Amino acid sequence: MTGAPPPALRLTGLGVRYPGRSRPALEGIDLAVGRGEFFGVAGRNGAGKSTLALVVAGFIPRVVRARVEGEVDVAGRPTRTATLAELIREVGIVFATPANQLSSSKPTVREELAFGLENLGVPREEMDGRIDRALAELGIADLAERLPAALSGGEQQRVAIASILVMGPGILVLDEPTAQLDPAGTEAVAALLHERADAGITVVVAEHKPAVLGRAFGCLVLDAGRQVALDAPGRALGSAVMGQLGGAVPTLVAVAEALGLDPRLGFDPAALAAAIGQRATGAPGAARTPPAGAAGAPTPPAVPWQPVRDQPPVAIEIEGLVHRYPGGVEALRGVDLAIEPGETVAIVGRNGSGKTTLAKHLNGLLAPAEGRVRVGGRDLRGTAVAEAARTVGFVFQDPDDQLFNRSVAREVAFGPSNLRLPAADRDRLVARALESVGLTGESATNPYDLDLSARKLVALASVLAIDPAVLVLDEPTTGQDGPGMARVGALVDAFAAAGRTVIAITHDMEFAARHFRRVVAMREGRVILDGAPEAVFTPGNAAALASTGLALPPAAAVAAALGWAAPVPLDAEGLVARLRD
Amino acid sequence: MLTATGYFRPRSSWLHRRHPTTKLLTAFWLLAAAFLLPPSALLALLAAVWLGAVSCGLLGGLLRSSRVGLYLLVSIVVVNAFFFPGGHDFLLALGPIRLTREGLEAGLVGGGRILVVLEALLLFLFTTLADDLLEALVQRGASARLAFVVLSAVQMVPRLQAKAAAILDAQQARGLAIGGSIGGRLRALVPLVGPLLLGTLIDVRERTFALEARGFGSGLPRTAYRLVADPPADRALRWLLAAAFVGLIVVALTIR
Repeated sequence: MTGAPPPALRLTGLGVRYPGRSRPALEGIDLAVGRGEFFGVAGRNGAGKSTLALVVAGFIPRVVRARVEGEVDVAGRPTRTATLAELIREVGIVFATPANQLSSSKPTVREELAFGLENLGVPREEMDGRIDRALAELGIADLAERLPAALSGGEQQRVAIASILVMGPGILVLDEPTAQLDPAGTEAVAALLHERADAGITVVVAEHKPAVLGRAFGCLVLDAGRQVALDAPGRALGSAVMGQLGGAVPTLVAVAEALGLDPRLGFDPAALAAAIGQRATGAPGAARTPPAGAAGAPTPPAVPWQPVRDQPPVAIEIEGLVHRYPGGVEALRGVDLAIEPGETVAIVGRNGSGKTTLAKHLNGLLAPAEGRVRVGGRDLRGTAVAEAARTVGFVFQDPDDQLFNRSVAREVAFGPSNLRLPAADRDRLVARALESVGLTGESATNPYDLDLSARKLVALASVLAIDPAVLVLDEPTTGQDGPGMARVGALVDAFAAAGRTVIAITHDMEFAARHFRRVVAMREGRVILDGAPEAVFTPGNAAALASTGLALPPAAAVAAALGWAAPVPLDAEGLVARLRD
Repeated sequence: MLTATGYFRPRSSWLHRRHPTTKLLTAFWLLAAAFLLPPSALLALLAAVWLGAVSCGLLGGLLRSSRVGLYLLVSIVVVNAFFFPGGHDFLLALGPIRLTREGLEAGLVGGGRILVVLEALLLFLFTTLADDLLEALVQRGASARLAFVVLSAVQMVPRLQAKAAAILDAQQARGLAIGGSIGGRLRALVPLVGPLLLGTLIDVRERTFALEARGFGSGLPRTAYRLVADPPADRALRWLLAAAFVGLIVVALTIR
């Protein structure tokens, strides 16, 4: 008599403790994932998602030192005594940064895929067949002869996944694989993972994004290293679990909950719209109003920005701006924008559409090839960046390009010190900036002892402390969990309320719609849409947005699927209120 | 935007088609020749390298990439010209500082030698795919792991340059003034070097993980996907180069 086959992956009482840490990073995790299942791992930053990915793939304790308790079984066999070389044939792992996944020496995607096969000693005559199969299965055969370094982030991440799958593992573990991707790249990776699971690969993905988690068969929610829920994503990420943890409840899950519909519909605007439509034709249900801030994470207590420096509001005028990089790549092809003092502007568009290039003209980091940029009536051409920084604060996407001081407080004081502000002003600004990002308690901590999301907040505070008239943020929500995003959003609101201008480059349409009064969409170096969020995020603009890798915010997508005319609601509260009417 | 890996410039020129070891040996021959042959040969050596670059359409790129090295060379020439010990044939006097003929000659010769080596190595990197070099070295018995690590280090240079530029931008955006007095420039170094080192360490951690995930540390016998052509013409060229090395030594000994 033969019993049921063992699950592809089983975790039994799994615990991980890093050396020198007082509390375990993981504790008592029990999970069984069947062959061909797509499983999500959710939780706030620091909950233990990355640790889970590393221990399942065998990197803990073989590459990263830590004490492991319990068992990780693959296809019914414990992996405790297996070597990494044996394990990587069964469990593959993909990390967050696309460029870091690639060998960076290979001239073509085909050879990039061959790298793993070479290391495993696969005979050369087998390689082309396996590579062609992997490329075809992942739908990237057209990339085979392209240079990996020249691909977009989404394409690179799909190549990274192919580079692992070509080695033949039955289990694929991914640690925030879409963290750095635009919406189109995220969607492509999510669809690919779903397809691979359908083809029999077991997929375990640690993620924040509903676009990925919503496709999962099941979702494990972690909090401080413990498993707090194991359920379908609609329920695991709903208000009863994620809401209680202070995390972000996906917008459409909140809408489904408020309408008394199955929360599992909360990841597919069309399916949710169909369910809403069906109910409208049947007996009316009792729609509840989602509690304020139900979608997303609870908004942190508002900390008003109290200016210290006497900064007059400034207007920004951009006329006929063209920028060419060495080598002739034309990143901006004639941009005209006028930004009023105190305006909040979200710049959106796919990776490579010219957003960051445009922003770098606002403080003189780049000079126009043609056209001009004036800030407060002053042409920035010839103005030193350090001088422009008195007026325009620029927060870069990667905080690790900035941080170097021994403590958070010293790091935040770096900007005001460079501007030679009086010591009393500097101290007040540092205290206010730290309070705004919620890091007052970490002022003595070394920034590199904080996780990436907190380091991003330190970098943001270090620019806030300059108290600039214009604040430019490059991808401020990347790597942030729900509460982190809510914190950044509250800060944008507070800074704008103080009369300051805020300009943010973002891939998060909900963030753009919720916190900015104007949205500028770019494609191939040109502005294609410009207006209030209600005017840009309309069903009629869905095709234009898709042409630059974007999608309507989820609430607007449901409204579009319902056939509503503009203006459509952009958040859960607006959508539910309109449905009640 | 990146269009190539490391310094490699994709072309289909005759120099690109040469076997990596042929080009490596040529670069070494030029290095030896620059130091063993009389200074009067330096111009011919430099002309040969530049002609090679012209034949592949790479002279402009070569000169652009040489800029940093050229600043160094100019400083070598200037320092030697004015501060060469024992110089007595004065060409120009600027107060207590004197330009000597001996110093100028020593500076030009020293700088010229370094220039020949710099240009030859750059042309080698421009025309040789790192992967081809790796395979060629492994075929000749080098450790695949060691060869990969060394080549990765070489390829890291452009990446570090890009990261350094990003850090410079980020710190200037926080009001860091670049330039001014020497003291000011030195103070500005810490905010630039600190993130470069720390950020590189973070990058290296993830890259190491990714390499391990691809079986780089598996310890299994490695196979090769890439076939590096080694036509008879290249083998003949390498014999010629070997003879040229002998000739070089003979000429050098004869001159002395």
